[in-house]
Order: sequence, then structure tokens, then C-alpha cells
Amino acid sequence: MVISNRKTLEAKNIHVSFGGIHALSEVDLALATGDILGLIGPNGAGKTTMVNVLTGFQRPKPGAVILDGRDVSKLSAPKMARAGIGRSFQAARLFRNLSVLENLTVAGLGIGLSKAKATEQGREILRWMSLVDQADQKASSLSYSSERRVSIARAVALRPSFLLLDEPASGMNEAECESLMEIITGLPKRVECGVLLIEHNMQVIMGVCDRVHVLDGGKSLAEGRPEEIRSNAVVLRAYLGEDASRKNTRI
Amino acid sequence: MLYFLQVSIDALALGSLYALVALAIGLVFGVMRLINFAQADYITIGAYSLVAPSTAAVPALMFGALHWVPMVAAVLLAVTVLALLTERLAFRPLRNTDTTTLLISSFAVSYFLQSLVLMLHGGRPKTVSIGEGLTSAVELFGLRIPGIQLLTMVVAMALLVVLVVFLKKTSLGVQLRAASENFEMARLLGVPANLVISIAFGISGILGGTISILFVVQTGSLDVRMGLMPAVYAFFATVIGGIGSLPGAVLGGYIVGILSVLLQAYLPVEVRPFRDAVVFAIVIIILLVRPQGLFVTGGAKERV
Amino acid sequence: MKLLKSSFPGLSLILLLIAGFAIIELLGSASTMRVATEALIRLVFAVGLYVFSGNSGIVSFGHMSFVAIAAYATTWQTCCAMLKPITMPGLPPFLKDETYPLLNSALTSVALAGAVAFVSGLVLMRLASLSASIATLALLFIVNTVYSNWTSVTMGNSTIVGLPVYVNLQVALVAAIAAIVVAYLFQISAWGLKLRATREDEVAAQASGISLYWPRVIAFTISGVIAGFAGILFAHSTGTVSINSFFLSHTFLIVAMIVVGGMRSLAGTVVGVTLLSVVIEIFRRAEAGISLGSIELAIPPGSQEMILALSMLLILIFRKDGIMAGREITLPKWCRKHRATSERRADTAIQ
Repeated sequence: MVISNRKTLEAKNIHVSFGGIHALSEVDLALATGDILGLIGPNGAGKTTMVNVLTGFQRPKPGAVILDGRDVSKLSAPKMARAGIGRSFQAARLFRNLSVLENLTVAGLGIGLSKAKATEQGREILRWMSLVDQADQKASSLSYSSERRVSIARAVALRPSFLLLDEPASGMNEAECESLMEIITGLPKRVECGVLLIEHNMQVIMGVCDRVHVLDGGKSLAEGRPEEIRSNAVVLRAYLGEDASRKNTRI
Repeated sequence: MLYFLQVSIDALALGSLYALVALAIGLVFGVMRLINFAQADYITIGAYSLVAPSTAAVPALMFGALHWVPMVAAVLLAVTVLALLTERLAFRPLRNTDTTTLLISSFAVSYFLQSLVLMLHGGRPKTVSIGEGLTSAVELFGLRIPGIQLLTMVVAMALLVVLVVFLKKTSLGVQLRAASENFEMARLLGVPANLVISIAFGISGILGGTISILFVVQTGSLDVRMGLMPAVYAFFATVIGGIGSLPGAVLGGYIVGILSVLLQAYLPVEVRPFRDAVVFAIVIIILLVRPQGLFVTGGAKERV
Repeated sequence: MKLLKSSFPGLSLILLLIAGFAIIELLGSASTMRVATEALIRLVFAVGLYVFSGNSGIVSFGHMSFVAIAAYATTWQTCCAMLKPITMPGLPPFLKDETYPLLNSALTSVALAGAVAFVSGLVLMRLASLSASIATLALLFIVNTVYSNWTSVTMGNSTIVGLPVYVNLQVALVAAIAAIVVAYLFQISAWGLKLRATREDEVAAQASGISLYWPRVIAFTISGVIAGFAGILFAHSTGTVSINSFFLSHTFLIVAMIVVGGMRSLAGTVVGVTLLSVVIEIFRRAEAGISLGSIELAIPPGSQEMILALSMLLILIFRKDGIMAGREITLPKWCRKHRATSERRADTAIQ
């Protein structure tokens, strides 16, 4: 895949504590345009905290977030979004009383487009994600899986260099997962971005990721290709306990 | 020097009073995310319960005619029942709505109660003399302190201590405090929601009733709007102290109370009528410097 | 056709107002016209409040301050040339000894209110939404305390009389239409949309590159200007000004109207003001006493406020979003369906 302008997003030595609890310790993460990096780990491993750090909702102390060579650790969340880091939310978090199209228009406005351009861009993205029929519907009237797709679409409307997807497949059935995976694999090329995918659903992780980074208890456990991670003893132990790794189970 | 000591006593008395109201506001806010405008009317109605409903400027006494022990009990009971009623009828149905809706609803409840008082008692201020003996001054370390001032300070501080002990040492109090600082978590841990909310409102009723009696003894007058200023001061106290923090509310109460008295005592005479405006302006400045308030609790911020 | 569709919500409200106005002008008594004028001025204020609170989701208790500021500013410029030096000796010479043309006075007074709104917005919008609401209360109290006590300049709590009266039903109607136009243009603008996003979900808005601060400041300023405009109208329709009428009771009344109609839409504001103005007028007459034959019926004073508060609570409990539930008046279904199919054809063609 030829990417015209290859950018990098690095998180270096990230530490985050909440009153004595170390949500993240010494975590290093990196991805580049065109990559799809999976971020997995048991519940409470710090995955969402990591996303919050990367999107300006949480400041690492100490630690740094470097976007294309520029230290963006201290930027506020809106500024991070404008700098090119978009995210979708686990709980979708749509603007419920706005229409689906308006949800995307807002993101376009966020990066400084005119309302007309932002609306046009929004419509285009909705077409690509097969959501255009619901463009004028109120966001609160959407089905669960459509909500998730709109959440991703809205982040795409930011024309991000990096897209962080927080458990987009949760609650989806097999067919919905399939179409989600199609969308995710299409993202790097279509949006010219790198993707960080947080997921519990291993089918999706194995299906779309180039590499996978594992967190546990706030620390990096391993990083490697999906097949390597799947049979990594340390990872298995973290997820399933001592017995599972000895029995050589696959995730 | 003497003047300063006198002022300090006033400041402590008023600070304690505002701290109590702020605590009431803070408790209810903690368990329901509701800034209770009706607290002002708990105070007002507590005061008006001392007299019989009429439009007379010098009304006949109702609870006020009793000996002070049953009088205090009656007022406290009346206000507590009122607080619990407002919770049950107006706020419980709205329990899970957003803070904006809750804020507006408490505005409505307050307005309703105010008009009720207006309807029963008329709009003119009234004179009431309760606890006459207390207004005379007491000699203490060379200072002449009005007895009521001393009483206010003693009662307010005593109540604060009782409340703190209740919140820290008793099982119910600890549950209330936990619920007040993080309602969802407390509920998941098994704290009974209805009970805890009722207790919070009950306490705010008791505090409201206490303050109303102290005010009436001190000022000798009744006015439909009398609870407004203490409540408004308490809102600002809560916000300065840090929304969602109980110690913050108490600290905020002392800050605004002491500020108010200091300004009254030391501002040039021509500026004194504007004292409230100055206090509120300072409140805004404090908020500018520290928007989240003095104590930041985890419960105040939204989880991302 | 597209222009019609996008402007329909605002246009329809204007047309409804004009229709109502025409009916009252033709059929109404003098007292009905006065009531309608008062209602239209309230509508201007309500629309102003809506521009900020409706779009941001942050209740502002402070908007009466802007009304007061503009009302007194226009009083200082246009009222009582003879009496001013005596009743308001503290005024600076350029106000005390001069009288200004009505239009100039209106413009400068509204500008003053807008300026105060801008500055206070810069300060208050740094706070989280709940603290900001409480801080607007502080603003209301500050203005009220200052104006009530600065007797040499405002005559304190006394009512100032003798302002020139030029706001009649027609003027009020034009003013209301102007306010609705401004409010509607704001809400369909980029800033309006950004603000509404912050209302829906602050976190998601920030993650979409929207700052919470500037949309709120801008809306607060615009709404302050409109509120100031209402102040001018109040002052020059009754010819009197009193700080007490710009405080909590009046604030409550307008908030009730907006809430009952539905805080999230312009149509809701108009519906709320209209409906409650009618209800209030009915109560006002009932309190004054209706004679049914030989029987005098009157409801006790204060019941009007109680019913108002009660209806507000009932709406909040049973229909939280108000009568209009956040909807605007949109094109009727058959118009929309036709448009939708033609657009869908366009979409599929591009794919």
C-alpha cells in the first residue's frame, strides 16, 4: 500500500495514576499511517485510559504523546481532534437530538470546514458506510449497530491521521461484525490514516490487525503479529489464568 | 482590636450558619445531583410556622407561642416533613433526569412554596418577637456580644460537629457520605437509594428549620424572601468549595460568611450597601481562578 | 424549494405571529392589545434566553440583568429631562444634562447590554455547565444589588416614570419577528450547530474538535443583545422602569414559559410564551373577580404563581421536553416525502 504522507503517532513512557491506582505504567506504543494496531487486554488493563491519553482527555504524568514528531501531550481534547486524532466511543456517544448527518457535520465544523463543505463531506461518508438513508433521522432513533457505525463515521469526518476505535464490535452479531471488519480494513486506505483498535472480540482482532499490543494491569505485556500473540504464553496467562497457558489453549 | 474580635465572632457565627446551609445543599446535591433552590423556602417556611397564617403585620403566634423546647421540636418537625414531601412528590419522579431539568424543577418547587407562603401570609414583612431575652448582650472577655450571636455560633458549630460525627462514625452516615460522593458506586455496593436520599433531605430540613429559628430570634422579622439570601450564599459556597465535596461545601460556607462580615465591617460606609454584590463578584473571581472549586472530587467529573 | 425547506421552521413562526397579530388588531379590545404587546415583548426576551439556554443546555438565571442594564441605559438617555438632575444627581453630565434621540438611545443601550454579556460570558463560560448556571445567578444578584442601592443614579428601588412610550402592538410584533429571525439564523449557523453538539454530549463534542468555550460565549453575547433589546421594549412600552421587575419573579415566569413549550426549540419558546401568556391573563382576570350574575368569583392572589409553578413541574415530570419536545415546525409530510425521494435518487446516482 502506497501512502503519500506517512505520519507516526507515538506514546512514550506513559504513566497515569488515579489516587494511588496505576492505570498505566511505562507504556510505549507506536503506530503509523496505514497500520492497523490492535490493543487488547483484560478488563481494567488500561485500554480506555490509553485512548484518553492519546486523545487529550487524560494527561500522562510522566510520559509524552508525539504526533508526527510534535509533542502533543499537553493539548486539550478539541485540539488533539483538530490535530488529526479521531476516536469513536464504546458507548457511541452520538449527539442524540441531532440528525445522523448533523453528527458528522459537527465533526467537519470541528476541523474548520464551512457548514456546506462539512455537510457534503458528511453525506459522502454516510454513503460509503451505507448509512445515507438515515441521514436526516434523529440519531437517537438508530439501531445499536448503526449507532456504532455513525460513531466511527463521525470520527472519520475529522479527516484524522489516526483513528482510535474503542470496542466498535461489542454487542454485534456475526453478520454485523463482518461488515464492521470490512469497514475497518478499508479505513487506512480510504481515510489515509492509522487505526488503533481496542477490542475484546478476537475474531475481529485477528481478522483486521497487522499487529497487536497487549496490556495488562496498566503495563505492556507483549506486542507482535496476531498469530504470535495468540499463542504467547504470557498473554494467555493474563487472560485465562495459569492453567490455560499450560494447556496451550488458543484465544 | 476589640472591634476586630467582635467582627471575628460575627464572622464565625455567620460562617457556621452558611456552612450548615451549604452542607444541606451539598448533601442533597451529592445524592441527587440537584441544587435545591427550595432550601431557601425550607428556611422561610420554618420561620413562618412560628406564626398563624394571616395577613397581619404583627401576627398571632402559632409554634412561637410554645415553650422553647416544643417550639424548636415543632418547627424542626414541620420543616423536615416539608423537605421529605418535596422529595417524595416533586423530586423523586425526576430522579434520573439531567442536571438541567433538576435545577429548573427545584426552581419551580421553590417558586411554588414561595407563592404558598404569599397566599397564606400576605407579602408584607411581619414582626415577631421570639426569645426576647437572647438579644441582650453578654459580657465575655471584655466584649459585648449579643446572646443570639453566641447562641448561633454555639448551635451551628454543635450541629456541624454532630453532623460530621454522624457522617463519619455511624453506619447510616457513612453510607450517606459514600452515596453523596459517588452515588452509583454506593448503590452497587448495596446502599439503599431511597433511604439515603430521604435522609439527605431530612437533614437539609433539620438544618433549614434550625437556621430559620435563629434568624427569627436575631432579626425579629419575617419576610417571604428571608431564606433566599442564605440559600444563594450557600449555592455559591458549594460551588466554590467544589461541587460534590462535603468538606468543600463547609469550607465554602465559612469563606462566604467570613467574607460577608469582613466586608460589612471594613468597607467604606458608602460601599456597604453593595456588600452582597462585592461578595458575589469575589465568588466569581475565585471560580475564575479555580473553576472546579477548592476540593475536587471524582464524582464531579464525567467518566470518559 | 431548498431555501423554503431550510427556512420553514422560522418562517412558519413568523407567519403564525402575524396571523395572531392581525386577529387581535382587528377584533381585540384595547386591553387585549396591551396584553398582546406585553406577551410579544416577553417573547423577545424568551427568544433571547432560548438562543443561549436552549442551544447550550445551560440554564441562565442572569439574563434579566441585561434587560435591566439596557432599560436603565435608555432611561438615562431619554427620560425626564426636567427631573433627572434632581432624582438622579449622580449621573455624569453627559447623561444628566442631555436627552438623546430614541433610536440612538436604543442602539447604545442594546450595545451596552451586549458588551456586558460578552464580558461576563468570557468569564462565566470558563466554568462547567452547572457552575455556570449558578454563576449567572450571581450575575443577576450583582446587578440587582448594584442597581437597587446606587440610588443617586437609579433611584434605587423606586419606579422611574416618564419615559417616552413608542412601543405599541405593531412595534412589538416587528421586534418579535426580528428576534425570531436572529435566533433562527443563529441556530442553523455553524456556531449554532457546534453549540448544540456541546449540549448533547460535551465529551463527544470535544472529541470532534469543538471547544466548549467559544460557542457558549458567542451565544451568550447574542442572547444578551436580544435580552437588552427586550429591555428597551419593556421600558418604552410602559414608560416606567423599576429594578424589582427585572429580578427573580420575572425570570421564573420566562423560564417557565420556555420549559413548558420546550426548551430545545424555537417553536417551543413561541408556543410556551403564547400559551402561558393566555393562561396568565385568564388568571389575572379571575383574581380580579368575575361576576356571574349576582355572584362575585375571585381566586386568591398568589394562586397564579402556584398554578404556574405546578404546571411547570407537571411538564417536567410527564413531558420533560415540553410541548414541542424540541421539534421545530417543519414542512408537512407530503412535501418532505417528495423531496426525500428526489434526493435519494441523486444519492444512488452518485454511487
